[in-house]
Amino acid sequence: MSSSSAHSVSILELYPEHLEASGERGNVTALRARLERAGHRVDVVQHTIGRRLPKDSDIVVIGNGPVSAVRSVYADLMENAAALRSLADDGVPFFAVGAGAELLGGGITLTDGTALTGVGIFPFSARRGVPRQVGYIVVESAHGTVVGFEDNASEWNLDSGAVPLGVVTSGGGNGNGREGVIAGSSIATQTKGPVLPLNPSLSDAVIRAALERRDVAYAPSTAHAELDRLAAKSREVIVANVKSVFTTI
Amino acid sequence: MRYIAPVIVGRAVRAVTRARGGGSALPGYIVNKMAPGFIKNVVAQFEYGIVFVLGSNGKSTTTHMLTEVLRGHGLTVFTNPSGANLPQGISSALLSEVGVTGKLKADIGILEVDEAFALELSKTLLPSTILMLNVQVDQLYRFFETEVVADMMLDTAAVATQHVISNRDDAYLSKIGEILSKKGAVVPDVTYFGAAPKLVADSAHGLFNAANHREEASTAPIDALAELESWDSTGARIRVGGALADIALPAKGLHYGIDAAAALATAAQVLGTEFDLAKASAAFSSMTPAYGRGELLDFGNEKVEFVMFKNAASLQLNLDALPAAPEQVMVAIDEGTPDVSWLYDIDFAQLDHVDVLTGAKAWQFALRLEHEGIPVGTIEPDLKKAIELMRALPAPATGHKTWVVNYEQMMLARKIIGYGDMEVSF
Repeated sequence: MSSSSAHSVSILELYPEHLEASGERGNVTALRARLERAGHRVDVVQHTIGRRLPKDSDIVVIGNGPVSAVRSVYADLMENAAALRSLADDGVPFFAVGAGAELLGGGITLTDGTALTGVGIFPFSARRGVPRQVGYIVVESAHGTVVGFEDNASEWNLDSGAVPLGVVTSGGGNGNGREGVIAGSSIATQTKGPVLPLNPSLSDAVIRAALERRDVAYAPSTAHAELDRLAAKSREVIVANVKSVFTTI
Repeated sequence: MRYIAPVIVGRAVRAVTRARGGGSALPGYIVNKMAPGFIKNVVAQFEYGIVFVLGSNGKSTTTHMLTEVLRGHGLTVFTNPSGANLPQGISSALLSEVGVTGKLKADIGILEVDEAFALELSKTLLPSTILMLNVQVDQLYRFFETEVVADMMLDTAAVATQHVISNRDDAYLSKIGEILSKKGAVVPDVTYFGAAPKLVADSAHGLFNAANHREEASTAPIDALAELESWDSTGARIRVGGALADIALPAKGLHYGIDAAAALATAAQVLGTEFDLAKASAAFSSMTPAYGRGELLDFGNEKVEFVMFKNAASLQLNLDALPAAPEQVMVAIDEGTPDVSWLYDIDFAQLDHVDVLTGAKAWQFALRLEHEGIPVGTIEPDLKKAIELMRALPAPATGHKTWVVNYEQMMLARKIIGYGDMEVSF
């Protein structure tokens, strides 16, 4: 591993105008803050419809959006599907939430029965139109307890042998006691909040995967302490209030 | 005469629930059950009909502005207290105004209505005029998708029997003219309000209206009957038809200026030839802020300015309207704002620090600010204690402290400092 000298880290943010409806910009903010506090430079490239995808990236991030937004980005995404798959094949970690994750999976069956084929990076398919799950969610994962807010009417069916991100201890998740799915170092999740600021261990897992690929060591330091303290306090309150009932009228 | 019993029973229930400090929905519910035709019958008495005010943000403020402008023209106005915009809250508000025989002496009803109930309520209340303010990302945990909210408003607008007033600068609501003309509808007529393009371009975060991913933007320019030309700390300049008016604003900000334009456009349509811009301007001069929207309340020898937010748009636009970074700031946010993911969409450049952060979601708010490097003095989840911490701070040079609060914390904070007498519909 190289020393802890400064490196430039590139984050590719897919369709921020369409697929960041649940504050997923915050996932980019969290990755950026932790990388910068570790002394690295961060370069965020936003990919919007019609633009050329950069040849290389260290991390790819995508978020959630309404069905209309999914339809809007779909053609552009399909044009770039091979390039995205090749990034994933090269070991670039993807962090994907909600509808964006579904687009990067096997496919989405919409409520009207139509099906959209996905990019195929994550081993699952989504079915829309199940009863909506709204509220706090707590998941036990290999990265520790993951907390956040869920709001979806989508069931995730994992391919045979696929590994979920974790086991739901409170909330709905994929709809079968599991939450999310992983593919190598890439993570797909239904959890919002946004999830990365609230879960530093998850952010660090993404960052570590990205930097290890470039042979760069990463460890949070005292510069991360306040972020971690506030996240821990936020998580405590979320776990304590996990049964809060929200009006969905 | 058939309403005497239900009205008396409803009033008795209202007296009891008020004495207990509870919400105001129950009495309306009881009257609805006892006499289903009650509301329909009462509102049929309004000479100028009923106006629905719909929108993601600004309903209370605009309802208040429109009410005062029409009162300034000599009309007797029935309106619902701010925030009481669900069906039972509206019934309860009617109940408090009618005589026991079901007579209500008002010329017009101006009602802010929750989007989700607007279409249902329109079947009973038969609104003559519908004012649509904006579609902004709001309560996704409740509405799921923003375009659902847009359709709730657009579908309701189509049933107005006389006028629709809509926002020219809103990607969804600006379509209402096309939608109605495609249907070949003769009524309602459609009028727009808006903000001058330069004003929107110069705003740090634009109007914060929701993006429309399902339709192309209109290419044909749309005329606005009332257009906000400029605003500052003293008020707003609004063009209505060919005339310019400089009006006082009860609360400062681009969005309040646009609400005023919306109220003026609506008043002009409802009153027709009776509309008098001078009378309207005079009404603005004596207007107090709507509940929690830029209100200055006494706090010992000092004042507190309440800046309320419910969602990303209202927080961003209110922050943008601050003339400078506030000297002493408390932020209060609790579980009344269930999903705070959108905090990461907010630009907090207007705050250089926060003195006290409170409420169950204080830690989540602090975490957001830490990502921007904005220092926070004390995090005290208990609102009462937080208020005491604010009280203990030295007197601010500006003479007032700024409290940025979500709706639920605003209600509690007002009560704690002695401004608690207010009905809400929850």
